[in-house]
Amino acid sequence: MDIDYLATVILSSLSSASILLIATIGLAVVFGLMGVINLAHGEFLMIGAYSALTATQMGVPFVLAIPIAVAVTMAIGALVEVLIIKRLYGRIFDTMLATWGISIVFYQLAVMIFGTVTPGIGMPQSNIQIGDYSLAGYPLLMIGVAALMGLFVYFLMTRTVYGMKARASIQQPEMAQAIGIESTRVNTLTFSIGCGLAGFAGAVLLPIVPATPSMGFSFVIKAFLTVVVAGPVTLTGSVLTAIGLGGGASITASFLTSVAGDIFFFLITAALLWLYPLGISAKWRRKL
Amino acid sequence: MFRISNATGGYGKTIIIRDVSLYVGSGDVVALLGRNGVGKSTLMRYATGLIPAIAGTVEIDGLAAPAAPARRARHGLGYVPQGRFVFPRMTALENIAVAAESNGHNGKEAVEEALTYFPMLKPKVHDLAGGLSGGQQQVLALARALAIRPTVLLLDEPTEGVQPSIVDEIAGVLKRINIERGIAMLVAEQDLDFCLSIANRAYVMEKGAIRMETDRATLERDKALQQELLGV
Repeated sequence: MDIDYLATVILSSLSSASILLIATIGLAVVFGLMGVINLAHGEFLMIGAYSALTATQMGVPFVLAIPIAVAVTMAIGALVEVLIIKRLYGRIFDTMLATWGISIVFYQLAVMIFGTVTPGIGMPQSNIQIGDYSLAGYPLLMIGVAALMGLFVYFLMTRTVYGMKARASIQQPEMAQAIGIESTRVNTLTFSIGCGLAGFAGAVLLPIVPATPSMGFSFVIKAFLTVVVAGPVTLTGSVLTAIGLGGGASITASFLTSVAGDIFFFLITAALLWLYPLGISAKWRRKL
Repeated sequence: MFRISNATGGYGKTIIIRDVSLYVGSGDVVALLGRNGVGKSTLMRYATGLIPAIAGTVEIDGLAAPAAPARRARHGLGYVPQGRFVFPRMTALENIAVAAESNGHNGKEAVEEALTYFPMLKPKVHDLAGGLSGGQQQVLALARALAIRPTVLLLDEPTEGVQPSIVDEIAGVLKRINIERGIAMLVAEQDLDFCLSIANRAYVMEKGAIRMETDRATLERDKALQQELLGV
């Protein structure tokens, strides 16, 4: 096996891991940090994808369509939080049921508005040549996007006043209020940011994963498993888990078959949860 | 100054405190005594607004306190809850800074000031609060409450589960803060010695109501009452 092939496999695996991470980070905020099991998370991804698609069809350049998708999903996320999630904090099963309902509504709305088949937007054409092999540039770009996204959330949550308020409101809601934090408003914003991150993912991945009403479903299972395996130190844990599970699955897939890749993913997930029932980061002394 | 008038409150339909009135003058330190389960913590939570008032009012500095706990904090009401409730996955520094910033004060300055009062936190500022010892967490909860620059401080069982050396340190700091910054305090306690060392006046609670009001000198003389409060 030559070195060029190996480099190609490693790069494309890293890019698959990054795509998983991009789809997961919003859930790391909403589920990992806030503890809200949002079964509609995948649908926020889908809304992000359709928002970006619609914007580009209306002539907006793709780069500008992404912030539009973020704004749309943040707004819908805030609305869902205020109308539904806010009343259900701490009631896990009620939250699951409610968000499952929301996901069905969003899915059906997408079917009604856009139909089940939609045209993709072509992938920006740029290829990278490694020896005899050629890799598409856009998926490789996702490695950088995932890194920036992770850093953005890390700095937002640990280095800003909002981030401190957000974590305080989640960890001890009553004490957060007692020291002057409007924790209900802060929680709305945090949930909305989580949804915005999902919308960003749907938009930025649009050239790779075309918008379909059911696209959220394919992401949400692996994203949830990633956050569960990550455990309480949700961001760092999710990054490592996405690289390990997503990258490992992709390497397995490139040497065997894509089914073998999925089997790898789920077997390792099961093994990790058996070894670390509370997630791999249960004993880490880190903030995020 | 701080005043609770005719407070009635509890959880859901269960009324725990009934028609309680008390007053803490500006710069005054007042103890709230009584055995377990008489409603001291409920009264504290009523005062912060964390449980809704069924009846009664709270006044901070002569003005009616707003209903929301967050707005009460910004009106100068500091709260150190029983059980500390520090933010466990935030550093000690962040616990203090977030309280200051949420009230429009500089977080860095608040941390520096806190460390002059509580030098024992210095080696721990970058540790997660959840990993600190009980005494350290208590001191941190106190530092967090002070970071909002309160005019009135509510302390709920600040000595519970805290080692004696730290109890003395807390008493010393509370006295110092009271003198230097004129912060009034209402301290719910079971530790009588601690209360006698810092409070000038005391209310004694029983079955969700104030049974009597007394001053330090009387309390020091009244061995029968002391026995009763200590529960021996």
